[in-house]
Amino acid sequence: MVSYSRVGGIILKNTKHWSATTLAIPLLAVSAFATAAEFDGVTLDAKLIGGQQYEALYARIADWEAETGAEVNVISKKNHFELDKEFKSDLAAGSLGWCVGSNHSSFASQYPSLYTDLTPYLTPEFIADYVDSNIAASKIGDSLVMLPRAQFDVSALYYQKSLYEDAEKQAAFEKEYGYELTPPDTWQQLTDQAIFFSDPPNFYGTQFAGKDEAIVGRFYELVVAEGGQLFNDDWSPAFNSEAGVRALDWFVNIYSQGAAPKGTTSYLWDELGQGFASGTIALNLDWPGWAGFFNDPESSKVAGNVGVVVQPQGSAGVRTGWSGHHGFSVTESCENKEAAASLVAFLTNEDSQKLESSAGPLPTRKAVWEHVVAQAEGDAYRTEVLQAFQAASEHAFPAPKTPYWIEATNIIYPELQAAILGDKSSAEALEVAAEAVDEMMREYGEY
Amino acid sequence: MTRLFRRLPPWLALLLPAIVILLVVVLVPLLLSLYSSFTPYRLTRPETLYKWIGEYNYVKVATDANFWWAFGRTVFLLTVALNLEMLLGLGLALLVNKVTWGQRGLRTIMMFPMMFSPILVGFQFKFIFNDNVGLVNNALQSLGITDQAIAWLVDGKLAMFAIIFAEVWMSTSVFAILILAGLFAIPRDPLEAAKVDGCTPWQSFRHISLPFLMPFIYIAMAIRSLDVARAYDIVQIMTNGGPARRTELLWTLIGRTGYVDAKMGLANAMGYISIFLAIFFTVYFFRKLNASRAALGYNA
Repeated sequence: MVSYSRVGGIILKNTKHWSATTLAIPLLAVSAFATAAEFDGVTLDAKLIGGQQYEALYARIADWEAETGAEVNVISKKNHFELDKEFKSDLAAGSLGWCVGSNHSSFASQYPSLYTDLTPYLTPEFIADYVDSNIAASKIGDSLVMLPRAQFDVSALYYQKSLYEDAEKQAAFEKEYGYELTPPDTWQQLTDQAIFFSDPPNFYGTQFAGKDEAIVGRFYELVVAEGGQLFNDDWSPAFNSEAGVRALDWFVNIYSQGAAPKGTTSYLWDELGQGFASGTIALNLDWPGWAGFFNDPESSKVAGNVGVVVQPQGSAGVRTGWSGHHGFSVTESCENKEAAASLVAFLTNEDSQKLESSAGPLPTRKAVWEHVVAQAEGDAYRTEVLQAFQAASEHAFPAPKTPYWIEATNIIYPELQAAILGDKSSAEALEVAAEAVDEMMREYGEY
Repeated sequence: MTRLFRRLPPWLALLLPAIVILLVVVLVPLLLSLYSSFTPYRLTRPETLYKWIGEYNYVKVATDANFWWAFGRTVFLLTVALNLEMLLGLGLALLVNKVTWGQRGLRTIMMFPMMFSPILVGFQFKFIFNDNVGLVNNALQSLGITDQAIAWLVDGKLAMFAIIFAEVWMSTSVFAILILAGLFAIPRDPLEAAKVDGCTPWQSFRHISLPFLMPFIYIAMAIRSLDVARAYDIVQIMTNGGPARRTELLWTLIGRTGYVDAKMGLANAMGYISIFLAIFFTVYFFRKLNASRAALGYNA
């Protein structure tokens, strides 16, 4: 028997077996379950991502508690990398007494048995209100293992506007490259302009994340933009292809031409954000979370001079779009899955997403996208940012959904670095990485 | 239960709590990790702990060129860092020993670097050697020595130099303090006799002070060799073993394999092979220590 109840403003699908009395009055099940005591006496232990920017949403947990009678006990608050280690330790030790966990689309596939499918606890209409690509990226197979919150990440291209308004530069660029100097729409244009603007060691055309999962993510989206794939359907490596070599050559070319800082192979997101804000970088493919920081005179030397456009396209006519989003999941071992699903739905519903996205992050519900765009009216920069990222999100695709994604990135990134630093050719580096990934996949019985 | 305790000889009954704690805290985890190194144990798949795969992990590690490069780099770091720390520590101790006023204050200041957490030291030197905003490059550029941004943490040799620099900065005082303690313990008579006999300061140092100091130096070497053989924090923060594995050491590799890749069985196999490095250096320095004590006429 499937019925519906409204808890915390969300219509939940209720799959428990109902008594004969309830069956006799099915209408009640649809509308009259707004009782404050729906989950009276239930306590949910939660492990959530920590950080100042997430606290506003967590303050809403008290509203859900008041509405449902349940209690939420946050037993861990850490960043995703630390939570990842904690989840792995919990799996190893079997300490799975908790119910709700923060999740991320890039990590989710590592814990195939940890989280339950949320579909039985939600109405199809409620799920349909999320952006389709976000829901697709929240699934492992057919199982909806998390609900996306308003923390969606896809990269668009930030640039320094003044560089494009300088008449001398415009003339010099057109003379050298034969086309007009406007913000790049292709990766080839980005390469030309990055080399043109560079004046090392004082000013660089661009930069890129140089290690760990970050560089492999960037390589992955470039391979796609060049018409290739990172993996075949059977998860055997496919990046040692012509498209792969072209993608890696982009990094090699930019680095060897001095169009990126020499230390970029040790940079991660913080260094990149600080670098663009320091005014020494012309073009910066980066996440939406930096938009406010870059345009704030307190934190950025390029404040008032920042433009944002949709990310460029590769030679295959496909735009880059490696994306990820935060979400909340419910453990398979949770004793009160319905209560936990209700909490997770509450934390990602329209009101919650409006609250989170008011501080800058991108939403994952269709109605909230419309809301934030309307809210930004009159603020030219915010409107430009939102339009660019809304366009960017249309080209978004998640990290490959294999439990071995992070492990594969640890095999691939030293080889990418070796090519960038000139230790190997792009083809050699990709061949070595592909052999090692192939061995790993075979070892795990993928094929 | 009480009857069982009564039957035990009193010495064993008294020692039993200590034995049980040692077994639980030391032996059981050691045996468990040794066992897991013969399994494909992955943290995310607990059931893999019960699958026996024999020496597969050991063969894999033994034939992995990346592992042996990391092993070699660790030995290199150990050799260079230990010798530099010993020489600088000896020099510092000899200088501080000459000071007659404010020596206590100097000794305290000398120990400051030891008080920092290695993670903080890593962050500090990561900033100092940053190619773009780092102190070293800014100083070199301001002084007109170079107009390039030197990539300290990217070039293989420079990155290793930067890591050794950070290690030496943090731990030279371990040698200095132990050697200073040795200097305080040297009897005055032989030094004065040598002076009367017309020995030069170098001869007194070489033939009297140094042999007395050698046991202290070897103790410091043994302690620091264990530390450096397990070097992790500073390297993890400064370079994370990269770029392109240029600064990969044993424990950055093992840490990544075990916790990021979740391959605990393989990481434990690497750990057990790596332990031989620590055991080798410890045995070596203890032998040297005993030999130097015997040379001084102490019972070895």
